[in-house]
Amino acid sequence: MDQQQEYVLRAVEERDLRFIRLWFTDVLGSLKSVAIAPAELENAFTEGIGFDGSSIHALARVSESDMLARPDASTFQVLPAKDGEQTTARIFCDILTPDGEPAPADPRAVLKRALGVAEDAGFTFYTHPEIEFYLFHQRAHEDDPLVPADTAGYFDHVARGQQGHDFRREAISMLETLGISVEFSHHEAGPGQNEIDLRYADALSTADNIMTFRTVVKELALERGFEATFMPKPLPGEPGSGMHTHLSLFEDDVNAFHAPGAEYQLSPTGRSFIAGLLRHSHEIAAVTNQFVNSYKRLWGGREAPSYVCWGHNNRSALVRVPMYKPLKGQSVRAEYRGLDAAANPYLAFAVLLRAGLKGVQEKYELPEEAEDNVWALSDGERRALGIDPLPGSLEQACQAMESSELVADTLGETVFQYFLANKYQEWHEYRAQVSPFELSRIGLI
Amino acid sequence: MTSAAHDPGAAGTMRGESLTRLLARAGFTDTRKAASLLHEDALGPVLERIDQEQESGLPALVRDLGRVADPDLALLTLVRLVEAAEHEEPVHELLVHPGPVRSRLLAVVGGSAAMGDWLVAHPPAAQMLSGAEERLEMPYERVRRRMLTAAGADPDAPVPVGEEPGDGALDAWRRAYRRELLLIAAQDLTAADPHALQPAVSAALSDLAAAALEGALALARAEMGPGAEQVRLAVLGMGKTGGRELNYVSDVDVIYVVEPGHGQSEEEAVRLGSKLAASLARMCSMPSAEPPLWEVDAGLRPEGRNGPLVRTLASHVQYYQRWAQTWEFQALLKARPAAGDEDLGRAYVEALSPMVWEAVNRENFVEDSQAMRRRVEDHVPVAEADRQIKLGRGGLRDVEFTVQLLQLVHGRVDAGLRSPNTLEALTQLSDAGYVGRDHADELAELYQFLRLLEHRVQLHRMRRTHLFPTAEADLRHLARSIGYGPDGVGELTNRWRLTRRRVRQLHEEIFYRPLLPATARLSAADAALSPESAAARLAAIGYRDPVGAVRHIGALSAGLSRRAKIQRQLLPVLLGWFADGADPDQGLLFFRRLSEELGTTHWYLKMLRDSGAAGVRLAHLLSTSKYVAEMLIRSPESVAWLGNEADLRPRSLDSLWQNLDAMLQRRDDTEQAARTVRYVRRRELTRGAIADVLGGVRVEAMETVIAPAADLALRGALRIATQEAAPQMGLAQDPAEILIVAMGRLGGQEVGYASDADVLFVHEPRPGVDPEIAQRWAVTVAGRVRTLLGSTGSEPGLPVDAELRPEGRNGPMARSLASYASYYQRWALPWEHQALLRARPVAGNDELGAKFTELIAPVRYPAGGLPTAQLRELRRIKARVEDERMPRGVDAVHHLKLGRGGLADVEWTVQLLQLQHAGEVPGLRQTSTLGALQAAREADLLKAADADRLQEAWVLASRLRNANVLATGRTNLQRIDVFPAGAELAVVSRLLGYPPGHATDLEADWLRASRRCRAVVERLFFG
Repeated sequence: MDQQQEYVLRAVEERDLRFIRLWFTDVLGSLKSVAIAPAELENAFTEGIGFDGSSIHALARVSESDMLARPDASTFQVLPAKDGEQTTARIFCDILTPDGEPAPADPRAVLKRALGVAEDAGFTFYTHPEIEFYLFHQRAHEDDPLVPADTAGYFDHVARGQQGHDFRREAISMLETLGISVEFSHHEAGPGQNEIDLRYADALSTADNIMTFRTVVKELALERGFEATFMPKPLPGEPGSGMHTHLSLFEDDVNAFHAPGAEYQLSPTGRSFIAGLLRHSHEIAAVTNQFVNSYKRLWGGREAPSYVCWGHNNRSALVRVPMYKPLKGQSVRAEYRGLDAAANPYLAFAVLLRAGLKGVQEKYELPEEAEDNVWALSDGERRALGIDPLPGSLEQACQAMESSELVADTLGETVFQYFLANKYQEWHEYRAQVSPFELSRIGLI
Repeated sequence: MTSAAHDPGAAGTMRGESLTRLLARAGFTDTRKAASLLHEDALGPVLERIDQEQESGLPALVRDLGRVADPDLALLTLVRLVEAAEHEEPVHELLVHPGPVRSRLLAVVGGSAAMGDWLVAHPPAAQMLSGAEERLEMPYERVRRRMLTAAGADPDAPVPVGEEPGDGALDAWRRAYRRELLLIAAQDLTAADPHALQPAVSAALSDLAAAALEGALALARAEMGPGAEQVRLAVLGMGKTGGRELNYVSDVDVIYVVEPGHGQSEEEAVRLGSKLAASLARMCSMPSAEPPLWEVDAGLRPEGRNGPLVRTLASHVQYYQRWAQTWEFQALLKARPAAGDEDLGRAYVEALSPMVWEAVNRENFVEDSQAMRRRVEDHVPVAEADRQIKLGRGGLRDVEFTVQLLQLVHGRVDAGLRSPNTLEALTQLSDAGYVGRDHADELAELYQFLRLLEHRVQLHRMRRTHLFPTAEADLRHLARSIGYGPDGVGELTNRWRLTRRRVRQLHEEIFYRPLLPATARLSAADAALSPESAAARLAAIGYRDPVGAVRHIGALSAGLSRRAKIQRQLLPVLLGWFADGADPDQGLLFFRRLSEELGTTHWYLKMLRDSGAAGVRLAHLLSTSKYVAEMLIRSPESVAWLGNEADLRPRSLDSLWQNLDAMLQRRDDTEQAARTVRYVRRRELTRGAIADVLGGVRVEAMETVIAPAADLALRGALRIATQEAAPQMGLAQDPAEILIVAMGRLGGQEVGYASDADVLFVHEPRPGVDPEIAQRWAVTVAGRVRTLLGSTGSEPGLPVDAELRPEGRNGPMARSLASYASYYQRWALPWEHQALLRARPVAGNDELGAKFTELIAPVRYPAGGLPTAQLRELRRIKARVEDERMPRGVDAVHHLKLGRGGLADVEWTVQLLQLQHAGEVPGLRQTSTLGALQAAREADLLKAADADRLQEAWVLASRLRNANVLATGRTNLQRIDVFPAGAELAVVSRLLGYPPGHATDLEADWLRASRRCRAVVERLFFG
């Protein structure tokens, strides 16, 4: 038992909280929540709270469905409530087997394991996500068309009175009260599209924060008469919602990507990390872009990072090395632009980290930088330059993942097997649909 | 140097013996140098006076020097000491007169290089040795006064404050500490029986440390200045300091507790207390003119190094109530007020010690304490494992662990067992009857020997080491220091080795022996626990039903029979071995049943008593494999094999058949004969299963044991059936030759413990016999074979299954060779060609076997490979089988036979390669999956990496299936084919050689192997 847990128990008592929500995430990235009374929290710390794991996706085989959720005291946060009265707190949990071993199917455990691999190599992994989402007016029925909350464009200062601006301000202040630092926020290119950037933090905290972020934004939207969605491509013809994520490795408190005087100040470690991201981007795509809809963002044009290449200020590259700010060596980083906002952040960070680390450990050579807008090149040109496309569909991504030892090792065999089965299932169900697009084509015949 | 001018041999005082020889006899290694040192200017006057005043004075001095650990060192140090002294006379005076004072000086400079160096730096301190006589008996209060006075504090003040440390008080206090240390070492090194003195030395060292802490606190108060007296700070000694069993050089473990003084707030008290505590630690360890004492280590405090240095009593209590882990309570057992506020220190112990005794009731006590012990062992570097006096196997930590575990288990109800001192606690345990008296005495003796070793090794160079030395000179020093003669190194090393071994044995004796009831005591000195105490102790080592276990132990050890007597001796050890197995309760229960079966058998008890290996094996088998345990109870005579390696090796089929054949010739009754056949098969399966459990469930067992046992049973049954068939049909002799061909897994010699026998029956009418009659006869024989091995009877049967025959269930049970020939030519389906790949004649007429093999060769090894249509058909069947035959409710990845990457996947792939290539590649013409896979690899029909993956999954699946049977004793095929779950998974993982607590690794290994395998199958089989 530690100080942190003692602090949490004291805080619960002092603030007179009524409920504690124990949060954890299933393999697909959906947040799960169990509410307990404050009196049960102490027991939850020491022994964990038992629940039936078989009811959660992939968490347990039916024959051994007893699972324990043990709260991670460092994630304790009081939740802001509608009427200003704070009665509820949330705390993220690790999922354990009845013997107290980490459950193989707990995404948090997957990320922790990957971070352990990095730690063994002497690295800590930091991430900084730029989360995009759309805000629509609330619909009465699921079949109703989506109406964006505004019609502004990139970086537009949406005038006061227009609800989108207020919404972002409110969301940010709520995130700040939750202890989640926001770096930047602005209106994105699509109508009703917003972006909020979280300050960089260690990958586990960032993943927890992303889960919290999605929940806060969705709940706040509902209260204000909107619907927020992190769907990768909700509107055909408009930009998709990505989650460009800046990645960096630190050795103690020194940025391992930084080498003064090198090209873009990028160290050999940084170069081979990026090479790892690129080389393994195919096989990790099913995790970084896990839905049928993810591939509509990737292949819907509009600057989507559809081709495996890197560049300095190239807004069409999969990996971008952002502009270096003099005297800020610590800020050298790689921006992975493929990720979308609907990914399971724990699993996505884990595979990105392991892909990059593999590059570092096996000293991959970084290919030539792509200086052109790769969308503007012809297929033949791209082939000549050795620039491959990312998978064109969820099915292709699954096929690439299926033969990946890297992903199997990162996710663990249990998650790997469940994830693939689930994603193939999604693909099969999708393929059985008949869309308005098809109907309109048939009408022509 | 002027010594070269002297002629050592010419020293005038020798009577009949030269100085050199005298020196050599005293144990000097460099006698020339010693002789010249004796005549140096420094010691010259001493020798002169000795010569004048005493008869044989020099020989006496040399003899005295010969009694110390290192005479050469001693002499050299003496020379340096005289040279360093401002006034030489007092030192000369010490050396001239023989007697205890001189002996002490010599012992110190010869026993400790570091102590000698310190003396050379502080020559006047040597004079103190005249008062060292009863240093160990000095009451603590006097030691405390000395240390406080040295720090410039008034020992009678309620809160003593020293003088400003920077003004010399720090160094004065440190010098005082060294002086006391010198006196303790002097008495220690001159003890007639240093073993017996050891506890007193440790106690004196602990008292000195506590007194030094008081001095350091007084100095710290002086440093803090006004207000320091107001801080109520108590220093608790932990670990060896708390237990009053400190060594010469060790960190001093402490915990601080603070309470607000008059008018102070709690926050202020904690702030000032922390400052004071930090300053105290600095006094002990910071650099100054005098060397530091030791590190003050507060790492045992709540939250360890991350926690606040100082807490209030209430905060301590809260921490231990809420957060502390098992090991922290174990550490708390040693807490003792050492310095500072006495009332507060006592209040701390009173408040916290009750909690120590509830620790054993904590949920994970057993796991925690076992894990703790393993961690200690794991942390010892391999290179040091055999040299660690403290942490190695059979070292001090083992003794302490045994004693503390017993204290925690029984101290909860018995308050008389709670001494923080290891030896005292051991005495308490033995006085109260929890440990046998003889065992307690012996353990105490071993412990004192180990502590003595540790003390002497440390004293040599005043280093914090716990390693038994390796350098010859160091070994010699150590041996002589403990009082072994000139050639004592071998003796010492031997005793060290024996001590460690005996400590391990005694742990078992002490822990398990008293579990036997009073009536089962071997001698009056043995302890016997009450049933409640015994249950508590059993629960503490992992028995899940301790009350039931106590009952079994009582039954096993009761009575006057020879069996009971021997079991009383064996049980303590066996109880420990069961506890190492996967299921201790099961082990004990089966042992009781076994001993009820076998109890009076002479060899059984003798073997258990005399063969250590047999006992370990038996305990492991009974607590890990239900299958073997049940087999052993069924035929207890198999237990005898455990004593003999050769009995556990598989028998060859030929020798088994000779044996069975002879037995059958003596049986007239058919039923009896059939029972014999089945009995021999079970016996061989038992033999194989025992070896399998002991050997980690190897895949080879299928080919070397299980398949031959089935072959044997088929041969035996066929022999009985043919003997009775012809007479029953009124025939004078057999109308035909008959043959049994093994198919499927049996054909490939890949059967598991619970498999059926797939077979074909073939016959060939003898010349001139009516084929009708031959056919009827063959069908009768086949039916009889199946009945003889069928499900009824007291011995386990072997279901014989002929469903792979032509036309399946609709076809006749047996066919003639000619009929097979025409069938295979005309009608056979692709899957039947495939099935023939496994055909292997096992019983009956050899010549007919050869003919049948020849007949099917072109069918199963087609010359041109596989026609496209047949290839397509095979793939289609396989795909359909995957879909249809998978049982409901089983996840495909968990089905070992039909699931993803399971046995069927590998076998179909290998068989496909055989059908395609065996026409050209003779190596492929075999029935074994692994053999054919190897041949295919050698013929480059698949990549080595692919072959590895197929093999890995197939081997693991096969081992898992066999382990499923061995773990549970269940032979229900549906369960065997499924990857185990829950408690069964834990046992299976142990069977397959995974360490305790690593069952999830096995699951991950299986999922990985089967996934990789399936990828290869997709590519190679489905193309």
